[in-house]
Amino acid sequence: MPELEFYAMHHDAYRWMPHKSVVGEHSRTNFISLPSDFYDKALGQRSMEDFVDVAINAERLGFDGILHSEHHNTPIGISAQAMVTSAYLAARTERILIAAVGPVLNAYLSPVRLAEEVALVDMLSNGRLILGLPMGIGAQYHAYGLTNPALARARYREAHELLIRAMTEPGPFEFEGEFFHVPYVNLWPRPVQEPHPPIWIPAAGSRETLEMCARHRYTYQVVGGSREVNLRNINLFRDLCEQQGYTAGPEQVAAVALIHTAETDRQARLEAEAHLGWQMQNFLRSTFQDSFAPGHVSETSLRATALATGGYRSRDFSETTWDDMIKGNLIAGSPETVAERVEELTSEMNAGRIILMFDHGSTPRWMIDKSMGLFAEQVMPRFRPPGGRPIWARGEDRRKYTTASECAALASKPRAIPAARLADGTIVDVRTAHVPELREPAEL
Amino acid sequence: MAATVSDAGLDEKWPFYTTPAIVDVRGLATAYRREGSGRVVVYIHGLGLTGKWLPFHQALSRGVDLIAPEQPGFGETPLPPWLRSIDDVVIHLDDLFETIGIEQLHLVGHGLGGWIAARFAVVYPRRLRTLTLVSPLGLRVAGSPLYDFFRMTPDEADGILLNGTGDSYRDQLDNGEPVEALVRSYGEITAAARIAWNPRYDVRFERLLERVSCPALVVAAQDDRLLPRAHCERYVDLLPDARLEVIEGSQTPTSHLSLVQEPDRLAEVIATFVVDHEGHSHA
Repeated sequence: MPELEFYAMHHDAYRWMPHKSVVGEHSRTNFISLPSDFYDKALGQRSMEDFVDVAINAERLGFDGILHSEHHNTPIGISAQAMVTSAYLAARTERILIAAVGPVLNAYLSPVRLAEEVALVDMLSNGRLILGLPMGIGAQYHAYGLTNPALARARYREAHELLIRAMTEPGPFEFEGEFFHVPYVNLWPRPVQEPHPPIWIPAAGSRETLEMCARHRYTYQVVGGSREVNLRNINLFRDLCEQQGYTAGPEQVAAVALIHTAETDRQARLEAEAHLGWQMQNFLRSTFQDSFAPGHVSETSLRATALATGGYRSRDFSETTWDDMIKGNLIAGSPETVAERVEELTSEMNAGRIILMFDHGSTPRWMIDKSMGLFAEQVMPRFRPPGGRPIWARGEDRRKYTTASECAALASKPRAIPAARLADGTIVDVRTAHVPELREPAEL
Repeated sequence: MAATVSDAGLDEKWPFYTTPAIVDVRGLATAYRREGSGRVVVYIHGLGLTGKWLPFHQALSRGVDLIAPEQPGFGETPLPPWLRSIDDVVIHLDDLFETIGIEQLHLVGHGLGGWIAARFAVVYPRRLRTLTLVSPLGLRVAGSPLYDFFRMTPDEADGILLNGTGDSYRDQLDNGEPVEALVRSYGEITAAARIAWNPRYDVRFERLLERVSCPALVVAAQDDRLLPRAHCERYVDLLPDARLEVIEGSQTPTSHLSLVQEPDRLAEVIATFVVDHEGHSHA
């Protein structure tokens, strides 16, 4: 068996939304403009708590990471701010990696603000953050009131450049871009991981995005396509890495799968089928105009999509059946079946990481716990070195220190000492100024 | 001048397609159609209905020298990387007029084109003899928001733009082969987003429309489901010398696309206004 890293994903959907057959009475689809009076505050809070519990449980079960996303103005994901949620997950867990895939750069007024959040969460989590940088799905651009989708790709590229420079270059420096002009980029605090948290890019196959991923040696999170399309995109990605002068290792490809594990194949289908139907019918369904906000896709991609679907009909996943999903990226069945399928899917991709969607939007907590538990105990160890440890429990502890004494031993001599001028005009070292015999003029 | 449409109807792309003239305007190959003689009238299209010399154009060109350019990113004028805002469109329009040798003109715009025309009038008021705005976008009117045309599906378009009468105008609305039509219309909505995504109005108009010294006509439809009547009325309030005219339908009340439903009446209203104010000049 190949060695794999396992990332448990949760959508944090608000499941009490109208079915597609009646949603038209309220909104075009469940995206963008479903009236917020469908939102019940208690149920919303319960959704969020279930999501957090799943993350905490993922650590206990030994997953390598928990992966979560960011959506705006929609019940399909009510964890609307990936970095806020990540900060909370950092507090509620100890060592599991936290993949925020992620903050939508184009939903930020300035990437410097995101750089601050990344640095803060990376620090608070003891360097456990993985940063995903999605373009943001088209539907969300209708609600930002901020970024023009027709300029989104150019703004994203520039925002990425500024974000990385803010985290890695010594400040202050001036950034003079087309979209952002920041006279003083000077990031405080700084991320603890060097040179910055690992970056993952969810990509449906746009060449431009794959090139960016290859150039910066980011992890390509394979989303969206059929198996054949995904394999073609992965081959293209590996070629692009070769053109950059290196060979992409398995860790640079993260497969994505829907998953459900139960005692038997039959039981897995009984448990998961209705929830997957819910997801296909209510969660992803959107009109062409909503999904493809103006300029959000390139002419080439659009023409390819249009040719495939006949030209003008709205995107509709709702006809997707169990068999369609099994042929695609659904892994469901007994632990034995699931292990075989995990191996098959990751081997054909030569992927070293796999993101597993244990919740299908409406899946109840107990069912997620059951599926994750069976998976962790009966599948995961087969893909790990002897001992079965997750990556964060192998080798050195990621936490730089856990006690004040270790911190004192680790800290370098500061560049400056804290000093203040007192009433008599002397500038003193404030660390000892409260002790008369130690109060002395500071050497600045 | 090469820019005529004498070969109208010969091309098979879709009904009313005619081959445009192409002129280089500071590096942008700009498409336009031109027909008729006499007073120069420039018509700025709205979103959609590009690539065509429609019955409306034919009717209006009977009495004037009608020039209908395709704005950057629309029709056969490519989307240039520099297009970021409505002012880029307006400056390009001024450059186009310089290139083809037009000094003073009568300017007409429909929908988004009405907004472009109004902005042009604010920036270059001395170029205009008259300004005609047909169901124009561009204003913020409290309590009367625009329909969100960026989300409008093909199934909704007929109800919103033509109040359900689209079947009677299939020839004018036909855009040819569906995949290429989709790609073209996506390109145009992208150009429209560059101009008008956010905000979808220009608050500066509240102050700046006062600069428009030429006579202005605002043409409203009887039942415009995209643009509430209050927008037309607000333009009349803000423009120093403007009046409102409502275009009446012969069969059904007119919609946002009155130019499709009532091409002759609309052309006549515009032509009459142009002729009546021919004398206006800044010279």
